[in-house]
Amino acid sequence: MGRRSWVGAGIGAALVAAVGVGLVVAPAGAAAAPPLPPVSPEDLVSSVMTAQRGPFAGEVEVDNALGLPAVPGVPQLANGTSTIRVWSGGEDRGRVAIPSAEGERTLVSDGTTRWAYDSRDRTATRSPAGDRQGPPEGQGQQDPTAAATQAIATLRQTSTVAVDGTAEVAGRAAYQLVLTPQPTERTLLREVRVAVDAETRLPLQLTVLAQGAAEPALQVGFSELTYGPQDPALFTFTPPPGTTVRDAQEQDRPDGQQDRPEGERRTVGDGWDTVIVGRAPTAEGGGQQQRPEGAPDLSALGQPVSGPWGTGRVITTAVATVIVTDDGRIAAGAVPQQVLTEALAQ
Amino acid sequence: MTTVTTVTTVSTVSTAAATRTTAPLGRLAAAEVRWVLRRPRTLVLLVLLGLIPVALGVGIALTGGPGGGDGDGDGPGLVAAVAGNGLVLPIAALGLALTLLLPLTVSTAAADALAGESAHGTLRGLLLAPVGRGRLVVMKAVGVVAVAVLAVAVVAVVGVITGMVVVGGPSGTLITLSGTTLGLGEALGRVALVAGWTVVQLLAVAAVALAVSAFTEHPLVVLAAVLGGLIVFGVLAAVPSLEWLQPLLLTSGWAAGADALRDPLPLDGLASSSLRALVYLVLGVAVTVWRMRRRDG
Repeated sequence: MGRRSWVGAGIGAALVAAVGVGLVVAPAGAAAAPPLPPVSPEDLVSSVMTAQRGPFAGEVEVDNALGLPAVPGVPQLANGTSTIRVWSGGEDRGRVAIPSAEGERTLVSDGTTRWAYDSRDRTATRSPAGDRQGPPEGQGQQDPTAAATQAIATLRQTSTVAVDGTAEVAGRAAYQLVLTPQPTERTLLREVRVAVDAETRLPLQLTVLAQGAAEPALQVGFSELTYGPQDPALFTFTPPPGTTVRDAQEQDRPDGQQDRPEGERRTVGDGWDTVIVGRAPTAEGGGQQQRPEGAPDLSALGQPVSGPWGTGRVITTAVATVIVTDDGRIAAGAVPQQVLTEALAQ
Repeated sequence: MTTVTTVTTVSTVSTAAATRTTAPLGRLAAAEVRWVLRRPRTLVLLVLLGLIPVALGVGIALTGGPGGGDGDGDGPGLVAAVAGNGLVLPIAALGLALTLLLPLTVSTAAADALAGESAHGTLRGLLLAPVGRGRLVVMKAVGVVAVAVLAVAVVAVVGVITGMVVVGGPSGTLITLSGTTLGLGEALGRVALVAGWTVVQLLAVAAVALAVSAFTEHPLVVLAAVLGGLIVFGVLAAVPSLEWLQPLLLTSGWAAGADALRDPLPLDGLASSSLRALVYLVLGVAVTVWRMRRRDG
């Protein structure tokens, strides 16, 4: 009998070990709020604005519930959770890897040139780093430090800014900065929360909450982060053999005729109820962005609407409304439909 | 109850006379491996596995490769990345084979190891022989491990050869999904990494198959249980509301093999899926040992 109980104990121990390992494999839950000295919202905001972006490497988790249509090759834009790898060398040098099941999109900036490489069709697109108009789509979402700093800068004038306790993000103690729209702002958003690293004052996580929804519409934040110098080879890119290399400018005018769309883009309003009015990208032109050829046909989406500004279709998502008019104008913003129609009528 | 006591006495006797009656483990293992490899079905499955990279490579070489087209959804998984980039072929082939053919191969071996012996009536003889049950399970497991390693090696080696000879590539280098170029040595290192990782995943499948095999005397039950289980896992993974199940499913980590083609190499997915496979491995071995200690015939 002694032998039998020994076997039983052995198997029991193996089961306990297996369950333990299973718990390790399962993602860890939310960590407790770390104690930090209090800070005033103004001090926190100004320290974020002046923070030095040193070199770091990290993994960014995107939890997306925006309700956007799926774009091939960029699964991060569709609903769901995805991971992006980010390296920053400081001084405008960086590398972003956007993995998908079939391949990867890689964005590299060496300080003077930006490269965007798509492994699925093996094309590399080159653009000068100074060209602010040419970032590939969704780049603002990929680096949470840049996206969150920009969100704070844009929204601070029209928001109530508060510090709502602390949190732990990617193992770093962080302050929770909350921007709530002032009552006069007509927006679909309830608040934007930014977790700011208590030590380096870098934004670590950006959370967007919509009106009437408990779950975040978008959460972008580091799941892993290490500060420190990075391998300089990460921030250079040489197109591998067999790659089609294109220049971003060429792509903007495939037939030499199309105007640069940003020339016609204007904004109406400011702060939370900013509306962007511009020209819809034409189907054959490829658009102002490096949109894949399978980009969604906007004319098939949404509900038909009409008004003194004309007729078109309205597309509503959790945090934004878009109106595409039949004559090719497009108006978008994190606002109710009425604000868009007023902007179009102007 | 009586069986257990008998076994205890028998094994005590055998330990007492261990100096003369125990065959060397190496010889036993070699005998078991030879026995497993002489089965025609094992050989047929190994040949089939070897054909996967050849078929992929020839297909891609003949059609000029899917990468030449518009690049959208040209094939399952990494197949589009193989064109003109031959060293990706073994990794893509391993990923394809891991979905069904490799698990089929190891579960065939595991089904023959215990349930098959039982169906032939030969397991009874092994159980009656003055051999510890643990030793018996280890020897049977050696045969299954040998099949798993051989199967993966066949796909990897044939894949590398086909990739370099038929598909070709930029002078013995590998272009990663991140757009960087790896030298031959590092590329082969990546292939070896994926092969090792695939073996670990297969051993998890094999351990579960052995556990099922220990409970039944019908080899087909083992095949049905393992392959059916894999399909059920795939269905469960596809249901969005069951997303919380993902960390528990063995198959949910199987896409991580493609990570070996990214640069810098992300080890998170490979490590977590290997850890998950180890959990299945420990559970499967524990259940097998537990059952075989009690099995009568």
